[in-house]
Amino acid sequence: MNYFAGLDIGSTAIKVALVDEAGGLVGVHVSDSGSLFHKNAKEALRVLLDRHGVRREQVGYLIATGYGRKLFKEADDSISEITANAIGAHEVGRAFGGVRTIINIGGQDSKAIQIDANGSVSNFAMNDKCAAGTGRFLDVAARNLDIDLEELGDYHFNGRGAPLTINSTCTVFAESEIIGLLANSHGKEEIVAGIHYSIARRTVRLAKRVGIEDRVYFDGGPALNKGLVAAIQDELQRELVVPEHPQTTTAFGAAILARQEFLAERAAA
Amino acid sequence: MNSQNAKPVALPYNRTRQAREAETMLDRIVDDFDDNPAAMAYFYDLFRRAWCQGEPMERTGVRVGTTCIHAPEELIYAMGATPVRLCNGSYHYDQIGADFMPAKSCSLVKATLGMLSSENAIPRIGKLDLIVNPTTCDQKKKAGAMMAAMGHAVYDLELPPSKESEQSRVYWQRSVREFALRLRSLTGNKLTKKNLTAAMARTGRAQAAFRTLHNFRRKAPSLVLGKDAFLVTNAYFFDDIDRWTEAVEKLNAELARREKDGFCAAQKKAPRILFTGSPPIFPNLKLPLLIEQAGGVVVADETCSANRMLYDMTSVDEWLLNDMVDSLADKYLKPCTCPIFTNNEDRIRRLLELARSFAVDGVVYQSFAGCQVYEMEQRSVAEALNKAGVAMLYVETDYSLDDMGQLSTRIEAFIESMKTRRRKAA
Repeated sequence: MNYFAGLDIGSTAIKVALVDEAGGLVGVHVSDSGSLFHKNAKEALRVLLDRHGVRREQVGYLIATGYGRKLFKEADDSISEITANAIGAHEVGRAFGGVRTIINIGGQDSKAIQIDANGSVSNFAMNDKCAAGTGRFLDVAARNLDIDLEELGDYHFNGRGAPLTINSTCTVFAESEIIGLLANSHGKEEIVAGIHYSIARRTVRLAKRVGIEDRVYFDGGPALNKGLVAAIQDELQRELVVPEHPQTTTAFGAAILARQEFLAERAAA
Repeated sequence: MNSQNAKPVALPYNRTRQAREAETMLDRIVDDFDDNPAAMAYFYDLFRRAWCQGEPMERTGVRVGTTCIHAPEELIYAMGATPVRLCNGSYHYDQIGADFMPAKSCSLVKATLGMLSSENAIPRIGKLDLIVNPTTCDQKKKAGAMMAAMGHAVYDLELPPSKESEQSRVYWQRSVREFALRLRSLTGNKLTKKNLTAAMARTGRAQAAFRTLHNFRRKAPSLVLGKDAFLVTNAYFFDDIDRWTEAVEKLNAELARREKDGFCAAQKKAPRILFTGSPPIFPNLKLPLLIEQAGGVVVADETCSANRMLYDMTSVDEWLLNDMVDSLADKYLKPCTCPIFTNNEDRIRRLLELARSFAVDGVVYQSFAGCQVYEMEQRSVAEALNKAGVAMLYVETDYSLDDMGQLSTRIEAFIESMKTRRRKAA
């Protein structure tokens, strides 16, 4: 029995997905990227394989993707996270009746991808070289507010006043803005909602640049944050499709492609 | 001890930031690829000497700097002077030039100003006797006065805002004739039928060599990579024209042998890219380099640091001096597809033609942040290309290397999407 792995080495988290010969998802694993990308990626792969009792040599093909894709030398191949994300979202999206637009927010970038009916990338846009409106921004904001990242969603819905406006798009300036709002004794709930709306506005602008078609699929770590999901839905004025494991869609896409490549090579041999 | 007069010790040039920047780029161009053509050694060596070691590039006689491809080189050569193209691609000079320009302005103009304000500018071609500054985009127009303020002798070569009308043609012909007079007072030489014919023959031979190279790039699989082609055309900026032509002819001879031997410079299935927009100028070849590192191959370009500079030849009707100068003026105006022209349908026509004749899979459109005309034209170009079924990736960037990671992801995704499309079409 062969297995196929997709390894998504992101700036913040390493995600691994494993599929079997039939193309079914066996399991996923998420761990921190830390500072030793290569070592931690190997470790993440080992943990997932051990959990499902799969030996390393049973992995017939492995594709690396994400920010650290070039660093992982044991991979059979590497692809950009945009392509991997599109493949994964196309596959997961089937259960929702198909998706054509993907919004992905990662640890240090955000992307909007348009796919055609076959799941091929037809257009995409990516934020420029700054961390505004990305997971890093949420991270910084949570730290300023002394809140756990996982709690941001609850704060969003518990506010009694309207979301406050965060004007700065720059993470560093927004940080001082948040501190200013706290100093003016505004409630954390309203600040959190404001932060979510500021990310949502940026993200929707990006998505509109590539064009929004049909159902919109939202993934990446920040998609776990229900408050942010609500804010983007509000800015977009349409419902988002959020998968059960938003963090691992890209790794899953890479694993699907690994299986396809393996089968293609076997057929050619 | 008279320490007051002690001069601060400067680093030797080859250890400066500028030399390191050039070296890093050159190493990537040379070492990251297998099977570089043997004839490229001449160009690799030229850039290593000029940019990494700061070796003087000896130029005798009168030197005329040009800030754009609109300055008629043949006139400069005919009067016994040497043209040097000043458009610069160095991030180091971009940083220096930032002092002269607003924050959101073009890297190329900033770097050119940075270079002209430096003592001992790289490449070391020596003191310029004149800078001819064609009045193209606003930033270059205004930069002319800044160059003059630095102490350079600047000549504004007046270019019309459009190229379609008869009055623009007449206006430009007059500008070119005026320029010839200015060169006469600079060099003390007269323009004659004989020296202009000889100058046209010289540039004609260089253009013919470029066209041959350009046509070799039509072949699939590719015989030569775009990163090398850009380095070749960049060398034309400051190299001796006859030496340059010989080196390109040698390269062409090698490509002919490669073709006979069935050699491939890139994978058979490598997506073929047409490059357009703001010009790649060494050391800022990051975008062509990223395309080819991602598995694409740049097969053609529509930029003023390569194709637009060398592709078109002068066609003379009557070999009389006045007619020759007018024909020369026409050659510099009519085929030019620069976005400074108010109506530039011609550029779209040119791009579609190149995309078709070079069997291009996609177009990468570079725009330097702050270059308004290229930024403004990208919409219409993207629409026309999409209508013709050619994908386009628009990249706004500058000379800094901060965005390399982000750009490599975008370019890889673009190359992958073309591969996928081709697989699905098969």
